[in-house]
Amino acid sequence: MKRKIAMALVAVMSLSLLNGCGGDAKKSDSASEGAATSGIFSGELEENVTIQVLENDTAISKGYFSQLIEAFNKEYEQYGITAVDANMDQYLDLANDGPYGYGPDVLYQANDVIMQYAQGKHILPLPVEKLDSYSQIPEAAWQAYMVSVDGNTYTCGVPVNVQAPMLYYRKDLLPEDWKESWDANSNDIPDMIEDWKNMYDFSVQRHQENPSQYGYMKSLYDVYFSSGFLFSYGGYIFGDNNTNPEDIGFAAGDSAKGAWILSQLAGIMNEDCIDDTITTNAYSKLADGTYFATLSTPDTYSTFYDELVNEYVGQGLNQEEAQKKAEENLVMTGLPKLPESGNLTEDNPKLVDSKTMGGVNGYAISSYTKYPNACLAFVNFATSYEMIMLRNETLGIAPAREDVASDLGGLSEAMYEELDKGNIVLMPSIKEVSQIWTPGQTFFTDLAKDAFRSEAEKKYKDLDSMEAGLEDMCNQIHDAIYTLE
Amino acid sequence: MMKKHSFGKAFDVAWTYALLIVVGFIFFFPCLWIVLASFSKSGSIYSFEGFFPTTYSIDTFKKLFTDTTMYNYPRWFFNTLFVAAGSCILGTFLTILTAYTMSRFEFRARKPMMKTTMVLGMFPSFMGMTAVYILMTQFGLINQIWGLILIYAAGAPMGYLTQKGFFDTIPKAIDEAAKIDGANSAQIFWKINLPLSKPIIVYTALTSFTWPWSDFILPKLLLKEKDLYTVAVGLMSLDETEFSRFAAGSVFIAVPIVIL
Repeated sequence: MKRKIAMALVAVMSLSLLNGCGGDAKKSDSASEGAATSGIFSGELEENVTIQVLENDTAISKGYFSQLIEAFNKEYEQYGITAVDANMDQYLDLANDGPYGYGPDVLYQANDVIMQYAQGKHILPLPVEKLDSYSQIPEAAWQAYMVSVDGNTYTCGVPVNVQAPMLYYRKDLLPEDWKESWDANSNDIPDMIEDWKNMYDFSVQRHQENPSQYGYMKSLYDVYFSSGFLFSYGGYIFGDNNTNPEDIGFAAGDSAKGAWILSQLAGIMNEDCIDDTITTNAYSKLADGTYFATLSTPDTYSTFYDELVNEYVGQGLNQEEAQKKAEENLVMTGLPKLPESGNLTEDNPKLVDSKTMGGVNGYAISSYTKYPNACLAFVNFATSYEMIMLRNETLGIAPAREDVASDLGGLSEAMYEELDKGNIVLMPSIKEVSQIWTPGQTFFTDLAKDAFRSEAEKKYKDLDSMEAGLEDMCNQIHDAIYTLE
Repeated sequence: MMKKHSFGKAFDVAWTYALLIVVGFIFFFPCLWIVLASFSKSGSIYSFEGFFPTTYSIDTFKKLFTDTTMYNYPRWFFNTLFVAAGSCILGTFLTILTAYTMSRFEFRARKPMMKTTMVLGMFPSFMGMTAVYILMTQFGLINQIWGLILIYAAGAPMGYLTQKGFFDTIPKAIDEAAKIDGANSAQIFWKINLPLSKPIIVYTALTSFTWPWSDFILPKLLLKEKDLYTVAVGLMSLDETEFSRFAAGSVFIAVPIVIL
């Protein structure tokens, strides 16, 4: 019996040893690659290679990505470098798949995602000053990709476009007499687009006229969109320019007023604002006229547009007429101003700028790539003036390049200015940011639910209770960061 | 007396049928809903009035097979068919062999092996997923359809007990008679027992086919490239605005199972 047990133990131990050998070999490979990043970008292109590029789904479905790789492959044909679609889920798991060689070489992601990979050393620090776009991209956008290690600062991504909440509305859903009734300052811009007080009043009126229709609609539970209301009144994410997770600032300043604004807006919506229903159905509900306005990011413009075209085609227009009408009527613009008091029913309020949470999407190079110089050449090509301009034309993004933004003018330039002015608060690039979402969702969900509770059951009756709720949320974030450390 | 008896019987039958129809409708309703949703013209679940779409069209089914830029359903369907068919053939073969061996042969490790497989079968299969992933990376079988087939087929004999029970019901006297006539073990298996085991072979083949056909966890873990996705993984990757495509894909994937 003892002999059998001994034999079994020997077998198990032998297998464990074999397994251990395999795993370590991989790890030491990746570690040595990570350690040698400084000498990786020699400038000598690896020839006759294929690099895998992961783009976002919208860029692929709208055909921009195929144009990009076609143009790149033509340009670098002489070196035999070919870029191909990585053909993976856009929400990949580089940390788990990369070390085993199953990740892309170049990836396009939001700055918070890239910087979390950077902290795990899954992303290469880049010699960004060698890129043609370096001088054209503002410092604020570069900062989103900077990480400090042992006193040295590294840049791990190249900004492509700025993401921030934008107001989408339908011009053809404005009241016929809006120039007389909803343009007090006669500047040809509807008042409800200029400030939230008028948006609130218009939403109340629209719903009263037809109970199945609403004015402004947006899921409150979404921290990305809702936290901007807190920032407008002095709130922030982390202290020291979003680098100090000890200092969590969602309850700072008068941010309770921002919570009050959200609570009042919940009152003009329906219970769908409690979860992500509105975020999901806004495309079709804006198209069928149930909603007048909503918030979304610039990269969803084409989805709103396609839904509206389908709606017009359904109403009997041909494709060309429907597209023209959709272009005229679907408007994406900046956020309305907020009343300084936080009271949406106050007459003639003093107004303050709306701040929003934003992000910078860009390209990064995987630490596990075998062809870093070819990848860098691709990133340089994809962030050139022509490609960013084409990206804007195809996808309607707000470019991070100053020259493209100023040539495009209009919204792109305005968004660029908002970034410069600090009205777009970029998502922190430290790993602790991943802990803000769940406590944030809990608070905003509770706040949205409060609008549908009876008076006796309401939890957030005044500014003090809202401030207490925000402080609770900050404590939960703090606990999550330091408990899970 | 006779009349009273027949009335009671008719009432009993009517009541039983009514109950069965109600229960049947409760189970059938989600299927009906997904079928109708797959014919929704708008494509969005939010355009429904109550439970059902407002307008109907077969455009979604056309789109499912023609618009393959982002979501290559025909490829996913073929991948699923290949995995399920491969697992079915290999898995059935291994399961039948295992069950036959355990039923017909006496050897020292037989009882311990039966006990061990029974205990191992009590653990949920996803417990070993991390280990499976690491093993597959070492064998270079990530992003390989064959990797999936091997795992499904190798795991199938773990559920050999039903098949063993069937083989136990075939009298051993038949084997002994064949042996007296000069048949060896392989001949007894192929020429005597296998023809008698058609019902259990069909049952094994069906279960070996349907499990990989609808499984999500393993293909999600092992297949990274979109073109290698199975239908279950592919449908889960659809964008939130593609509900009717999801419904159409779900309806179409049920067709082979219904035919079987």
